Amino acid sequence: MAKVNVKVCLGTTCFVMGSSNLQELIELVPKKYGEDVDVSGSPCLGLCSIDWEFSKAPYVKVNDEVIKEATVEKVLAAIDRELK
Amino acid sequence: MFIDIDCHQIKKYNQNAFGDYFVSKRYPDEARLIAVLSDGLGSGIKANILSCMTATMLLRFVEGDQIPIKDAAEIVMNSLPVCQVRKISYSTFSIIDINDEGHAKIVEEGNPDFIWIRDGEVMKPSYESIPSKNHKNRCMKSYKIKLELGDRLIFCSDGITQCGLGNEKLKLGLRRSGLIDLVLEKLKQDPEISSSELSSYLVKQARNIETDRNPKDDMSALVLYCREPRKSLVFTGPPFNQKNDAQYAQTFIDFKGKKAIAGGTTANLISRELNIPITMDTTISIGKLPSCSYMEGVDLVTEGILTLTQTLEYLENGEWDIDNAAGKLVKFLLDSDCIYFMVGAKLNQAHYNPNLPIEIEIRKNIIKKMKTVLQDKYYKKVSVQYM
Repeated sequence: MAKVNVKVCLGTTCFVMGSSNLQELIELVPKKYGEDVDVSGSPCLGLCSIDWEFSKAPYVKVNDEVIKEATVEKVLAAIDRELK
Repeated sequence: MFIDIDCHQIKKYNQNAFGDYFVSKRYPDEARLIAVLSDGLGSGIKANILSCMTATMLLRFVEGDQIPIKDAAEIVMNSLPVCQVRKISYSTFSIIDINDEGHAKIVEEGNPDFIWIRDGEVMKPSYESIPSKNHKNRCMKSYKIKLELGDRLIFCSDGITQCGLGNEKLKLGLRRSGLIDLVLEKLKQDPEISSSELSSYLVKQARNIETDRNPKDDMSALVLYCREPRKSLVFTGPPFNQKNDAQYAQTFIDFKGKKAIAGGTTANLISRELNIPITMDTTISIGKLPSCSYMEGVDLVTEGILTLTQTLEYLENGEWDIDNAAGKLVKFLLDSDCIYFMVGAKLNQAHYNPNLPIEIEIRKNIIKKMKTVLQDKYYKKVSVQYM
């Protein structure tokens, strides 16, 4: 099975809008899913400048799915969907 | 050639103001540096006012370039009043006007003679004595010298040369000869020592010689060091016109010196144009700033606005936390002599969302302030290119 790839945006907008708290995923996810999921930070996913009118930062990408206004719960749910 | 300059001072024991005053200014357009060290009569507030006035007046006078430095100094020497109590001169001064080719004009009045060191030897430059027409005991020395790469100049106030006066060992104090010994010995141990470290070392040593480590006079040590400039480049923000991305990315990577990127989008841009992968630091960033990323061939990659804002604050306060991205950027900047900024003018409208903290500033403004503080407080040569 292919690994699920999770990217947490740590760009300026996302960081102040809450992705600083999403960094706990970096520790939490390997504990929960082991080797199946790969989590890393990204300098910027470039989504806030496209989607700014809606301003749904922070953004997280789980494989190709973009999670807007991401929370730890939303990201974990998305990982579960991918793993199904 | 880059002139690395710094001055360290300590106050006389029990005083709450410095009686010596140091002021320096770089003129990047003219490739020129002017510095003045003045020692005010007495100590404390009175001396502080006297030396501050003398030094700032001289700096203004010399930078104006309307009259030669020698004439400017002579006018000041002749017009400085005499202390009513002690019947001696109001303040002393040393002025250095130097350009990047090493041509230096120096005028001294009342301060200990400066020390010029080349290859571990003390040079003996010739000078012209100019006695004051209206004050018998005043005489200034005017020098015109040519400095080479690796040369050092050391200026000090008499607090340094007279430290330890009356001690068992040093009945006449450290004197100029003692200071020369200190400098040469230190240079043997550490030939590449920066001006900042050398000046702080000299002041500390002078203080250690004093009885009970209580300075009996204000102490200042000013050091100039001619060396090859350490160059660095900071690329921050995407260019206004995306068509130019490739060209600017190439300019960035071709730069000879240390390189830093401040900005997530900017890092992505360089990565995309030059095909260099980015890896993010896997440790969780603690506190208020995102952690650094890594790219081959780039010395430092950080987030943009938040890190730059914090860096500016650190530079202004003179204190920083070395562990976070801003602390690393401060160290990167302070380890350089000439700093180039490439600043992209493109705005990210998401930053103007009213939900975001008001601390999020416009990049151009931060860089403008950073340029000022790096020049005025840390004597760096800074140039900014907007793109």
